[in-house]
Amino acid sequence: MLEIKEVDISYGEMSVIKKVSLEVKEGELVTVIGANGAGKTTLIKAIMGIKDITSGEILLDGVDISKLPPWKRPELGIGYVPEGRRVFPNLTVDENLRMGAYKVKDKVKARASIEKVYGMFPVLKERSTQLANTMSGGEQQMLAIGRALVLEPRILLIDEISMGLMPILVNTSFKIIKELNDAGITVLIVEQNANKVLKIAHRGYVLETGTIAIEDTAKHLMENDTVRKAYLGG
Amino acid sequence: MLSQQIVNGIMIGSVYALTAMGATLIYGILRILDIANAGAYAVGAYAGWYMYSVTENILLAFVFAMLFTGIIGVLVQKFIYFPIISKPNVIAIVPLITSVGLFTLTGDMLRLIFGPNVKNMNMTFKINAVEIGNVRISAEWIFIVLLTATLFFVLWFILNKTKLGLAWRATAADTEIAKTMGVNVHISMALSYVLGYGFAAAAGTMVGVLYNSIYPTMGDIPSYKMLAIIVLGGLGNPLGTVVAGIVIGLSETLVSAYFGSIMPRDVIAFVVLIIVLLVKPSGLVTRKNT
Repeated sequence: MLEIKEVDISYGEMSVIKKVSLEVKEGELVTVIGANGAGKTTLIKAIMGIKDITSGEILLDGVDISKLPPWKRPELGIGYVPEGRRVFPNLTVDENLRMGAYKVKDKVKARASIEKVYGMFPVLKERSTQLANTMSGGEQQMLAIGRALVLEPRILLIDEISMGLMPILVNTSFKIIKELNDAGITVLIVEQNANKVLKIAHRGYVLETGTIAIEDTAKHLMENDTVRKAYLGG
Repeated sequence: MLSQQIVNGIMIGSVYALTAMGATLIYGILRILDIANAGAYAVGAYAGWYMYSVTENILLAFVFAMLFTGIIGVLVQKFIYFPIISKPNVIAIVPLITSVGLFTLTGDMLRLIFGPNVKNMNMTFKINAVEIGNVRISAEWIFIVLLTATLFFVLWFILNKTKLGLAWRATAADTEIAKTMGVNVHISMALSYVLGYGFAAAAGTMVGVLYNSIYPTMGDIPSYKMLAIIVLGGLGNPLGTVVAGIVIGLSETLVSAYFGSIMPRDVIAFVVLIIVLLVKPSGLVTRKNT
């Protein structure tokens, strides 16, 4: 479904992603693990179009989308849960969700999607008129996920969902992602918390200073000595 | 006496707020301090004056001033500011200096085209002055207050009740994420400029009507007073701008009325700015919600 082919990305003179290729097939839950600064967020931003690539291709269903402006990408069915949640702080919960449904032209359909998200996360329904920045980190995380879901995406890109969350909420978040994937949504998740994410993923890539070092099934990665030493704490 | 001064202060303050609103809307989306917004104020006044001298229709004069200047705003945004801020690693001072240059250019263009002399608006109003108790509001002011209230209502409605306004507020809060939700930020930018320059044009025409005079450098004092107001209002916050405009208007009127000329009237805005920022550095209204 999503294929990244030989992508290069740089900040000014500094090259941060070098000839990276990876693939996410329909229905899969694929993860990219790696240390802080390996280029994981940059890669996700490039797929969303908020970071330009210098060369290579980003294919969605075989069509190169790397030249499309970012605002043309959500309508292709790409949902995005950014690093650090990035909910719109001074918008209400309901307004945040309406922003998620911005590209859903049919008002009735948009409302139905929002109600569906409220059904999934009842706390969001309770807080629908509250400003997003008045909510706890965990609630904001649910809002960030909900905001990506109202679009009813085919593929969900998730950036560091565990970042800055209490351990119990990290577990909940991963459980939600697993459930979404079981429900048929393809997922690409970049994550520092390799331990947790490899338990739910089908396959994984290890990103090291801008290049893919290892690529394997999640099961094999958990057993891989190098991965265990570097990312799973021995 | 006091009630009359308060009414006067609120009235002039709302015109100040209208002048500064463009700078606020533009800063909210593009993070540019657009001094040239005061150029739009002068251009708008000339456009309104021109239309009135041709048609003698006050409403048409205002509509024309706002549309004409608003369109100029969109062009300026598209062909000058956007290319500049899209360059990698542009520091904030570059668009700021650009806007100062644009502002100087507008003043000189107006002087070249219309000459340096003061032009009279000579607008006549068919409505009468109103007296409530010992407060008197002139015909010009009734018109101006109604028009300002209407424009602020339109702005509030667009920002809070339409999808376009929701997208505007989301873009102001987090441009990058708004893009990934499907917001074409060029439209948010264009909205800021068409409304912003349009409002400045209306304010310029209003002041032209009030003092029955327009001249090429009429934007000079508003240019820096506008800065005091948008900073006081908490940069990029439309509601804060209205509050700050009225606070400045009231301060000016009351200080001049009760303390006479202890300082030049136009300095008062900055005295208020300094006092408020010393007490509350984030400005008068902090919650960025309109």
